[in-house]
Amino acid sequence: MSNPTANWERVGDRFYHKIKLYDAVFDQDLELENYVIAGAPFSGAIALYRDESKLHTYRGSQTSKSSIDIYSCSGKLIRRINWDKGSIRGLGWSEDEKLLVVTEDGTVRCYYDLQGDFTQFSLGSGVEEHGVRACRFWSNGFVAILSNNQLIAISHYNEPRPKLLATPPEDLVHSWTVIPPAYTLSRSVEVLLAVGQTIYVVDSTDAEDRVLPNGPFKHVSVSPNGLYVTLYTEDGKVWVITSDFQNKIGEYESKAKTVPKDVQWCGNDSVLLAWEDEVHMIGPNGAVLKYYYDGWVHLLADVDGVRLMTNDVCEFLQKVPDTTEDIFKLGSTSPASVLLDAVDQLEKKSPKADENIQLIRSSLPDAVAACVQAAGQEYSTYWQKQLLKAASFGKSVLDLYSSDDFVDMCEKLRVLNALRDYRIGLPLSLEQYERLTSEKLIQRLINRREYLLAIRVSDYLRIPTNKIYVHWASQKVRNSTADEDTICSTVVDKLNNKRGISFEVIARAAYDEGRSHLATQLLNHESRAGKQVPLLLSMSEDELALDKAIASGDTDLVYFVLLHLKRTLPLASFFRLLTNRPLATALVESSALDQDRSLLKDLYYQDDRALDGANLLFSEALAQTAPQTKIDKLRLASKCLEDHSSKDPTAALYHKSYQEAQALIRLQSSLDSDLHAGEKVYTGLSLNATLHRLILTTHGKRANKIASDFRVPEKVFAWIRLRALVAKRDWTELEEIATKNKRSSIGWEPYFNEVLGAGNTKLAGGVFVAKCTGLKARERSEMWVKCGMVGRAGEELAKAKDLEGLEELRGKASGSGAVEIERLIAQLRPKR
Amino acid sequence: MAPHPGIDPDQIKEKARKDLLDLLESVRGKKNLVIEKSLAGPIGIFVKFSTLQDHGVDKVFFLENDNVDASQKNVIFLARGEKANQPIAITEQIQRLQKNSSIEHEFLIIWVPRRTLVCNKILEEAGVLGDVSVEEFVLHFIPLEQDLLSLCLEDSFKDLYLRKDPTSTFLAAQALMGIQQTHGLFPRIIGKGDNANRLMELLLRMRVEAAADDNNTSKFGLMPSATIESLIIIDREIDFATPLLTQLTYEGLIEEMFGISYNQTEIHSSIVGQASGTQQSGKSPAATQQGLKQKIQLDSSDKLYEQLRDANGAIVDNLLNKVARRLQSDMKNRHAESISELRDFVGKLPGYQSEQQSLKIHINLTEEIMKNTQSDIFRRTLEVQQNLYDGSDPSSQHDTLEELISRSVPLPTILRLLCLESCISGGLRQKDLDNFKRLILHAYGYQHLLTLSALEKIGLLQTRASAGVLTNPLAVGTAQENTKTNYNYLRKVLRLVVDEVNEQNPNDIAYVYSGYAPLTVRLVQAILQKQYLLALTKGASAANISTAAHGWQGFEDAARNVKGTTFNKIQKGEEQVVKARHMLAGTGGKVKTVVVMFLGGVTFTEIAALRFVAKGEEGRRRILVCTTDVMGGNGVVGAAIEKGSFGEV
Repeated sequence: MSNPTANWERVGDRFYHKIKLYDAVFDQDLELENYVIAGAPFSGAIALYRDESKLHTYRGSQTSKSSIDIYSCSGKLIRRINWDKGSIRGLGWSEDEKLLVVTEDGTVRCYYDLQGDFTQFSLGSGVEEHGVRACRFWSNGFVAILSNNQLIAISHYNEPRPKLLATPPEDLVHSWTVIPPAYTLSRSVEVLLAVGQTIYVVDSTDAEDRVLPNGPFKHVSVSPNGLYVTLYTEDGKVWVITSDFQNKIGEYESKAKTVPKDVQWCGNDSVLLAWEDEVHMIGPNGAVLKYYYDGWVHLLADVDGVRLMTNDVCEFLQKVPDTTEDIFKLGSTSPASVLLDAVDQLEKKSPKADENIQLIRSSLPDAVAACVQAAGQEYSTYWQKQLLKAASFGKSVLDLYSSDDFVDMCEKLRVLNALRDYRIGLPLSLEQYERLTSEKLIQRLINRREYLLAIRVSDYLRIPTNKIYVHWASQKVRNSTADEDTICSTVVDKLNNKRGISFEVIARAAYDEGRSHLATQLLNHESRAGKQVPLLLSMSEDELALDKAIASGDTDLVYFVLLHLKRTLPLASFFRLLTNRPLATALVESSALDQDRSLLKDLYYQDDRALDGANLLFSEALAQTAPQTKIDKLRLASKCLEDHSSKDPTAALYHKSYQEAQALIRLQSSLDSDLHAGEKVYTGLSLNATLHRLILTTHGKRANKIASDFRVPEKVFAWIRLRALVAKRDWTELEEIATKNKRSSIGWEPYFNEVLGAGNTKLAGGVFVAKCTGLKARERSEMWVKCGMVGRAGEELAKAKDLEGLEELRGKASGSGAVEIERLIAQLRPKR
Repeated sequence: MAPHPGIDPDQIKEKARKDLLDLLESVRGKKNLVIEKSLAGPIGIFVKFSTLQDHGVDKVFFLENDNVDASQKNVIFLARGEKANQPIAITEQIQRLQKNSSIEHEFLIIWVPRRTLVCNKILEEAGVLGDVSVEEFVLHFIPLEQDLLSLCLEDSFKDLYLRKDPTSTFLAAQALMGIQQTHGLFPRIIGKGDNANRLMELLLRMRVEAAADDNNTSKFGLMPSATIESLIIIDREIDFATPLLTQLTYEGLIEEMFGISYNQTEIHSSIVGQASGTQQSGKSPAATQQGLKQKIQLDSSDKLYEQLRDANGAIVDNLLNKVARRLQSDMKNRHAESISELRDFVGKLPGYQSEQQSLKIHINLTEEIMKNTQSDIFRRTLEVQQNLYDGSDPSSQHDTLEELISRSVPLPTILRLLCLESCISGGLRQKDLDNFKRLILHAYGYQHLLTLSALEKIGLLQTRASAGVLTNPLAVGTAQENTKTNYNYLRKVLRLVVDEVNEQNPNDIAYVYSGYAPLTVRLVQAILQKQYLLALTKGASAANISTAAHGWQGFEDAARNVKGTTFNKIQKGEEQVVKARHMLAGTGGKVKTVVVMFLGGVTFTEIAALRFVAKGEEGRRRILVCTTDVMGGNGVVGAAIEKGSFGEV
């Protein structure tokens, strides 16, 4: 086995290695130079399409049909998408391997599953006029530049919202790129535009000139961590600066006569310049390394290196990871390196193995960790094994060692090796795998329809497999040629007893394929009622959708269905759906009350709910301004109940009240015009308040008449009169009532209390106490006291011969009152 | 498995705060915030206005006022999306801004607590969906106190019982599901009432659905919680009488007279006096001058209030007296002997000052409350209530009711008494009811025909015929699931009336209404404190129910005489997992939480009573009260009261 260092090359003080991932990638006939190529991040799929601007040999009509071809890294054609939607101006990938295709007129297609299914959206109405010139993509968004230099950003694909960035200068843009939102201070995307001599930084609010003197820059490229920017000047210089344009890191003279076709970062510390068949790598401090190829070479930058694609090979160029370098570097004496050597010795059964171990005893844990780490970085299974053996040997010597990292790495390597197989073609590096996460990796496998591997990997890594099954089933119902019942039973049998299976998704796939019977069958297996609803609606299973929505308990869902049904159904059928569904009816009522009263009226009429209908009209009357329109509405309301009032006592009461309300409105407007020259003083008052006000403003007679017209109970009227007179301070009138009447319907205490409450002790005590004949002497005496008439209180008690009470009273009295009480007590006390 | 920490209100608050601020931060630069009025209060619980300003909020507008201006490019809407009103209002305002404003606005709509299909549809149909960004702010329970979580759904009572719209039930289920997801399944769900039953069914269904959800990465599904003992769900509908009564705890009285919303009450400055000047900078109680009204913070950050809130109103002046005297003596003893003592004293000064401030406020409040409680009308009202729950002939109260109507006492007072009579005695006679209706229409205006009809719809006001034969105690045994709560029967069986209640040192929950024990809390006691309740109702000898009794055991009859479905469900996990858990965690010994969920609202008195129950269970259980909203009797009838009139519109 060749030593890993065989393909190492020194760039300055570091090593780089180019790992050959696959060979015989593309068909030799494929003229790569004529293709635009885009590679998904994390060693994902590659999309190719023929560059229209380049001439190509005519090969008959068959191949002239334009298409976008999706390949795996090993050159396996995953999908060919026929393309007839116009000129493509942007081709790129998102982190989760969605292929984005942007056309000149601003249409964006998002192919989300590598199988040709897509969603489509537009960059906005203004785009068509100017046309998209180019696009730059980042992990989950992109920026499009129009021919007038306007920039439009899309920051996510779930609900894409085209956002116009600040307007940059209209001069020729030599080159441009974006800094992804994750790496900018503002957390929104920034665009670097090379215009004239300088670079403009454009974000959503402004376009700022960074005033660089050395332009024009033919290439701009941002490092994967967003910290550095490479600029390639017209005269062949390469500049590396920080992305905040504050510091210059390095400058390199390429001495090239032609401008490279591509400039990309390789990791975060070196830059690649690519010409047609030549790649230059510029490392830190200006060290250079040159690679030559036989044919056209494309660069596909990734987070930790660059994939180089030619017709023959797919290679991965990266900096040799530090741990690997430490172990394999010529003459390395690092503990890990010694440990690796120990395994070698062990295999040769040499005692040096133990010597080696003793040598590094103190740093053995670190050496084990380093070997585990280095094994993960390794692409050759031989060296993976060798390193893991070393680690295993090392840890066997240690007393205490947690094997978690070791086991973990073994698992990861097993997965990585499976993925790197040319039949799968996902040559992830360890770092890429860790960044991608295993869930997203499974998604990639699903998209490639590698279900078996996906399930194996999921089981192995203990992650849920439900999505894999669902995807499998969805494909099954789409593509299977068996009859629908067989498909259904196959799918259901397979997925039974599996957790988290969304039958709704499968059913939708069936429905989209036009198999609605199958869709209904599958939907019955969905346990989440809510999920069934939208599909049922699109299948026009209205009644079922409504019932499922009700069953889910989610009112939003019910509202949603109702809203939909109201739009699509004739009113009568809509109401028919509501009968016997009280929840749906209640929700329709509740929302119609706020938004659509005419619907409510129809509903009440349909359901023969006369009382509710009448109340609705009644509440409309409340909303009217003019007295006459109010009365009209009230009349309508009472009409509603006319037939019912004879049978139903409640309806009768309502009916009568509507009429009384009309009478009151009429009365009040006549009062207003009689007494207040039309000013609305009485309007809006209640009947009792009207009476109160009339008495208060000395229209007592009128009040009397109204009270009897409206049949206000005597007691109620007595209270109204009392309170109004007290409020008016009409003591004479009150006194007159007391003298004229022997009895009062509400008794005389209220009179006493109210008058006293108003502060007239003279009247309260002088007139009303005596009228309260129903009370006990003690109580009356207290009333006198409240009026400050202690003398009268005493007399009252004396009359009742209540000696005890008198003595109590004496305590409270003072001055002449006390003397008086004394006298009464003396009178009453039995003479000895 | 690491032991779960219990449900931590502070954590909920902190998370809500962080989520909201993150959402605001996601929009660059200054922004105007348009907020639904009913969300302003709840949000004020966990984030201050000044904090919003620190995060770039320039001005705040109320959605209902429709007055957002074009002063900022960024406009954020924050609203609930369960009903169509809000999305419609937002759509209109966005369209107005787009039409009239010279700058191009960036809109963000944040839906609370979830983005609904209805909102999507409305925005889409209006053609604004493409112009706005949409986010969700998952806000369910908001902690009002350490033992009180509220969904702050102001309309929940009206929606549930008047409009029969169960949105609140669904939101409550989602909120409780959230608790289950972090703390494990409620091992037992027990409760009473039809809506409560629906809530329980929703929880069961959601559990099944969670298992089928793709997003649920947990491999095992949910397991019964190790920290929560049970969930008790109480439907407000089973006991309308309790909230109709006048609340007699200090906090309850403040609610009755001034209203409390989200731990704050607004009081006329003339009542609390000139305290505000010194207090604006002070933290507790945070009072801010606002016109002539003053906002007073009422929560446990005010130590004095914490002592007073659940005490019966009658003894508050006494308590205040004591505190005043202690403060005075503390201040007198300030003759510092040494420098260190002096330093000690000075260190305590701010504490004294804030205590003094709060003392002043509460003395003023108490004075105002006393003025009211001593009034003739208040006494008469209370008398009627007492006679009604004591079980005396309701028609004997009709004269007083008539008189109160004639004296134009506020309408809610009358309606509460009338509804109370209807609830307790199983409806009014048609003749009496019609008579009262007429009196009310005369006294308060014909628009209240709608009020009365709404009350009937809710079931607060009924004729005896429609209420069925309930006054006959013989019929009780045969009645199956009841359509009406039978207070006459329950009065004895659950001892709802306790005459010799001690207000000073409460010995029973009945102290909160000076002699009446809220039925809802009695039912909670029937589940948690069987021994106590049996001893109370049947004498000490009868209280030999086994401690292992659970669910409704021993009180099945009582439960049967309360309106609505009775249920008691055990939630189990997969057997092996549960066993493994038991082995690891061991059982018992730990204080577990009982979650009491009030669907449709809870009163301060019930909270106070539950705190009293919790005190008795200290060391064994913790009680956490959850509710859709905190409300009072005025809120109950207020849901029905028609706001319009025949006057000027």
